[in-house]
Amino acid sequence: MSSGSRRLTPQAVEVIDRANSVGFTFDGRSYSGHPGDSIVSALLASGVTVFSRSYKYHRPRGVLTAGFHDPGCMMQVGDEPNVRGSHRLVEDGMVVSSQNRWPSLRFDVAAANHAVGRFLTAGFYYKTFIKPQPLWPAYEKILSRFAPGGRMSADSVHGRYDHRFAHPDVVVAGGGPAGMLAALAAAEAGATVMLVEEEHALGGHLRYEPSQHKDLATIVGRVAGHPNIEVLTDSVVTGRYDDNWVAICQRNHPGVFERLIKARAKVLVVAAGLVERPYVFAGNDKPGVMLSTAVRRLINLWAVKPGERAVVLTANTTGDAAVEDLERAGVAIAAVVDGRRGHTVVRARGPKTGVKSVELADGSTVEADLVVTAVGWTAPTSLLNMAGDRPRYDPAAARFFACDLPANVLATGGITGDGTLDQLAEHAQAVGREAARRSLTTRRQWQAARPWAASPQPETDDVSPQAIPDLPRHPHPEMFRSTSHGIVDFSEDVSSKDLVAAVAEGFNSIELAKRYTTATMGPTQGKLETVNAVAVVAEAIDRTIEDVGTTVWRPPYAPITLGALGGRSHEPTRYSPMQSWHQANGAKPLVAGQWIRPDHYGDPEAEVRNVRENVGIIDVTPLGKLDLRGPDVSRLLEQVYVNRWAKLGVGGVRYGVMCAEDGVVLDDGVTGRLADDRYLMTTTSSGAGTVWEWVENWLQTEHPDWRVVVTPMTTSYASMNVAGPKVRTLLERIVEDIDLSPDAFGYMNVRQGRIAGVDCFMWRIGFTGELSYEIHVPAGYGLDVWEAILEAGADLGIGAFGVEAQRIMRLEKGHFIVGQDTDGLMQGFSAGIDWLIKLDKDDFAGKPELTWQSQRTGDVRVVALQPVDGTVVPLEASQIVDGSGAIMGRVTSSRMSPTLGRSICLGVVAENLATAGSVVTIRLPDGDLVKARVMEHHAHFDPEGTRLRG
Amino acid sequence: MSAPNRKGFRPAARYSALNLVRRGISGSEWPPAWRQHPLRAGYDAVIIGAGVHGLATAYYLAANHGISNVAVLDKGYVGGGGSGRNTAIVRSNYLTPEGVRFYDRSLSLYRTMAADLNYNVMFSKRGHLTLAHNDGSLRTMRWRAEVNKVQGIDSEVIGPDDIKELVPFMDTSTQARYPVLGALYHPPGGIIRHDAVNWAYARAADSLGVHIHQNTEVTGIEVAAGKVTGVRTTQGAISTPIVVNCTAGWASTIADMVGVDLPIITHPLQAAVTEPVKMFLHAVVVSGSLHVYVSQTDRGELVFGASVDPFASYSMRGSLEFTEELAAHVLELMPAVAKMRVLRQWAGLCDMTPDYSPIMGFTPVEGFLVDVGWGTYGFKAGPVSGEAMAEAVATGRTPEIIATFDLARFAEGRLVGEKGAASVGH
Amino acid sequence: MLLVPCPWCGPRNASDLRYVGETSRRPDPASVTPAEWRAYLYDHANPAGPTTETWYCRGCRRFFVAERDTVTNVFTSSRPPGRQNPEEPR
Repeated sequence: MSSGSRRLTPQAVEVIDRANSVGFTFDGRSYSGHPGDSIVSALLASGVTVFSRSYKYHRPRGVLTAGFHDPGCMMQVGDEPNVRGSHRLVEDGMVVSSQNRWPSLRFDVAAANHAVGRFLTAGFYYKTFIKPQPLWPAYEKILSRFAPGGRMSADSVHGRYDHRFAHPDVVVAGGGPAGMLAALAAAEAGATVMLVEEEHALGGHLRYEPSQHKDLATIVGRVAGHPNIEVLTDSVVTGRYDDNWVAICQRNHPGVFERLIKARAKVLVVAAGLVERPYVFAGNDKPGVMLSTAVRRLINLWAVKPGERAVVLTANTTGDAAVEDLERAGVAIAAVVDGRRGHTVVRARGPKTGVKSVELADGSTVEADLVVTAVGWTAPTSLLNMAGDRPRYDPAAARFFACDLPANVLATGGITGDGTLDQLAEHAQAVGREAARRSLTTRRQWQAARPWAASPQPETDDVSPQAIPDLPRHPHPEMFRSTSHGIVDFSEDVSSKDLVAAVAEGFNSIELAKRYTTATMGPTQGKLETVNAVAVVAEAIDRTIEDVGTTVWRPPYAPITLGALGGRSHEPTRYSPMQSWHQANGAKPLVAGQWIRPDHYGDPEAEVRNVRENVGIIDVTPLGKLDLRGPDVSRLLEQVYVNRWAKLGVGGVRYGVMCAEDGVVLDDGVTGRLADDRYLMTTTSSGAGTVWEWVENWLQTEHPDWRVVVTPMTTSYASMNVAGPKVRTLLERIVEDIDLSPDAFGYMNVRQGRIAGVDCFMWRIGFTGELSYEIHVPAGYGLDVWEAILEAGADLGIGAFGVEAQRIMRLEKGHFIVGQDTDGLMQGFSAGIDWLIKLDKDDFAGKPELTWQSQRTGDVRVVALQPVDGTVVPLEASQIVDGSGAIMGRVTSSRMSPTLGRSICLGVVAENLATAGSVVTIRLPDGDLVKARVMEHHAHFDPEGTRLRG
Repeated sequence: MSAPNRKGFRPAARYSALNLVRRGISGSEWPPAWRQHPLRAGYDAVIIGAGVHGLATAYYLAANHGISNVAVLDKGYVGGGGSGRNTAIVRSNYLTPEGVRFYDRSLSLYRTMAADLNYNVMFSKRGHLTLAHNDGSLRTMRWRAEVNKVQGIDSEVIGPDDIKELVPFMDTSTQARYPVLGALYHPPGGIIRHDAVNWAYARAADSLGVHIHQNTEVTGIEVAAGKVTGVRTTQGAISTPIVVNCTAGWASTIADMVGVDLPIITHPLQAAVTEPVKMFLHAVVVSGSLHVYVSQTDRGELVFGASVDPFASYSMRGSLEFTEELAAHVLELMPAVAKMRVLRQWAGLCDMTPDYSPIMGFTPVEGFLVDVGWGTYGFKAGPVSGEAMAEAVATGRTPEIIATFDLARFAEGRLVGEKGAASVGH
Repeated sequence: MLLVPCPWCGPRNASDLRYVGETSRRPDPASVTPAEWRAYLYDHANPAGPTTETWYCRGCRRFFVAERDTVTNVFTSSRPPGRQNPEEPR
């Protein structure tokens, strides 16, 4: 590491604010920079040249690209790992540390790996640590210590992130000259445009082109002033997904760490420019070896002198321009090696932390501390690839080009070709106009595709397709690797030698070589290394680059935080209208899907006793409710339930079970007939959505002739069940218009009337086995009615009970719960509902399977079980085993019954064990075996239902 | 499984640290892990698909049964399909006794694979946690634990405190939107380097005489009088009495060539990986309710997966909504990792069956066998499937360990019980 | 995110809909054999290419039938469910 200031005198187009300073620390030492500096430019200006150690060999690494994808400049900033130090702007008070070094950048123990590098060849770990096998976990532990990257902290806070939906006509990816001109042309043609630029300002390569400064300012001004264009800087299009669903990661939105913008672009214009490709030669990863664009950026944008004495390998005009920049910056030019004439560099020599001399192809050695290469470009075809294109290699231009784009994707700029600035501008503008034309056509088509759209679209002048001129491709020498071997993948520390070795071992396609060596799989994801890797593999198997082809670029184009992808937490949470009461009265919450319900209010067993002795009330709002109206409702019910419905009179209620077409129990609940042509169906809480779609499916696809209207009412009503021997006394005090006498309102009936002055439906049904009434009132009155009932029953000992008490009571009554006592394979007869299934009906869902089930033996059955020792409550899911230990069933529900004073269960057992009185063996989780008796009825308590019917 | 008649496995060049040093000093290259051969006119058996299932079947045919005149065909490259795209989780804590026994055999083959095949497949025993966020899923975890215990599998339901100890980054507070109530803990579960498994089988099969033909797409299967007689490929025709369909994503297409209907729907399954950070997550964590599973590789990356895409497709382009949901759900579990960045996402194809179990063995067409329908759990079953399919080919009988996975079960209404508690299970 | 053409709502994000599956015809339960019924339940053409399938739109709560290519995911048509002619699956 050299020291001393490398800051140059003010440069024409620099982006730093010299009037102000910011202070930060790097590895514990204090540094300062100016606003506008990247972390790396500030450090470099202060003389720091080594920023990290490499993944495998722990070689010191410096600046390579001076842009976002600079593999050696990933840093830890506070609790954020893997920050792109060449991109992230430095801020006052930043705490920055280098990654992948142990214990320090200067002295790294693992750098010993470098010494044994010749043995750490491609796939070395597959070949070692094989024996003795018991030692592998210890080896593995050591290997994983060398995992690269930053450090996470369990105490990190989640922070703020956001999502945004956008509906622009055109998204332009890339805010260089081509992107800006395309955006302007599209906007002027009437399209709304989102222009997305990865860097902190628009301009692309013109930003560090002092001679173009004025022109650039003019274009940027026009873009900024155009009302149809939204400019996003420090933002990147990370992916193009099906139907032009475009993901944009915005890094500079105020108030959030990162924001994900999801844009349904009618047309995507890819103007991603070109990525400069490193050159493969010995020593090419030393600090002091840089790309020509890196040098140009450092000098022009940040006024940083990249070295003292440079060797420049140039094969194009960017390299030539870098020579001029270097000279202006006062860097001595030791040699200009012209790749266009077949000249090249072979090796950079020097201590580990830098370059001292450079060996040229003619064998001469030149003293230098800086090696600049300009050997060509990689077209970042990632987004085109995601749009289905397979780019093709053009050897004359030494890069890949798109060849087959869908109609909603266009490309312009360097990714498409070369040419003069005028030619590029003409191309970009034509692309912009065509993007506008296509997007406006799509906009009209989408609007017309909605039949309800009232007003026809205004006539627009039909614009004919815009001719897009072909861009010339400038010849460029093919320069990938010198005569020596060097690093191909800087993130993964993969050398050309590794790739050659992989090919020799049979990994002779780019996909296999990539997987074997992990080339292109690190943080740069191929942007710097893919083409070099392809070239090295092509050379090794003696094929052309066209033949070898390229690997598929996968999203995201640039990494995006989990926070941005996840956005704000938007998991829906549902509460009943009585939630405030539950909270105020100490309810313990129970997560039941989206619903949060009271599990209990402190003592569920006491709640059970109170219901059995006095009266209780439970909030059952999540119960699914479907309002069914029309002349054909009873036909629908016959179709979806296994039992019979035709004879259900007005005011009557029936319990029903639904099976799927495979005969498996789908849902259950009660349905009542409110009027001639109106029914209310209830479903399980978790099945509400499924059943709704299920009945709609029958109505819409199988029986479109049936006249039934289905309206989901689950959350329209607040529902509560009031149960217990004193319930009638209670309700008589506050119910109007309903005769509650047993004769007038018997079990399994539904009435409409008023409770506490509120219109209600009242059902005489119950899950608890007590005399009980289920009451539905409009949701807005739920809390009022709930409190009115509690008040009216205060002297009767009323208390609220929760889900747990209800579960205990339903188990005492032997009611199965779909999905708990049944499972994804259990057909109707196994659930023990033989009495319900009417195989003599013409048709119902699942009838063929249930018919065949009724004709065979050997299925399982749901049975009630009582452990012989009534003090033992076998944990739910305990297995039922036979003498040999084979599984014969399981306990699906179990509780200690406060009413009976003993343990009770429901279980699933093989049919041969399902007869009343047989004794089965339950294997408890700790391995103990206990005996349990199969009961005659599912109901452990009041099997005749006298309490219920009272 | 009967004790195999193991033929000595002698690689062309033995892998060891010593040999690595020797070659490092002498600078000599390693020989190819597997060779390229011209297509023979006939083989005793042709296996379609050079993934872990196809390669393992070929290897065990040669190693256990001495049948080495075998071709493995692939339209792409070795391990280019699901075998190289999965998240490399191995475990045996299934729900049904037959599933447990089957996957446990696979796990034991994985455990000794490095030594057996002279290839470090980097089996990493991490412990596997399947979280429960509601009492329904907790009950299912208990169900699995109890079945596992009866079968002698190390599997137990643990509580939030134990989970926090195993996964310090986990939000086990009761304030979480989906509180962690418990987890099924399966200490033997872990991860493995999936590519290495493919390459290890390819190298071992090759050294026993099996031919691996990459870039060789099957275009048709010849059947005469109800019997397989040959295969047509883009590289030429082959005569053979046996074809084993070991493909994923294309199982229906291949079966269609001989007129066998399969109860399969092909869905993409996506996965994603973050940038590497220092190790902080040792265990493999799965949440069925949140449809996510995550592990950290020895390289430091978090590897994520989720449920299959919600509609049938052969597209492997991937979707944004997948990564969005994934991230949201991972952050519900571990809010402290919000600043980690997703580096890459990809997709593979999964052939889903109605009962979340594979279809293995013989078909109505004589000589046409299937090892398909692997849904999202094919990789972990690779070794045992290869062993069983090889036995089926060699003996002409269905091995008992795969008897419940026969094709006829669907028409006969005997679905496998893994469907009993359908949930994401990786 | 796929855009799914609902015949009533126009193009909608796939997350607004539920994929139901290949459109199939329910056999007559009165005369069906087990093999036919289970083929209806479980077998699928599962083509890599054009297919006819049912979707459910959660916006308008309606089912519809669409033609899509399962390789490209491109929709070529969509229409209300129900028999267009007696031979067609519904």
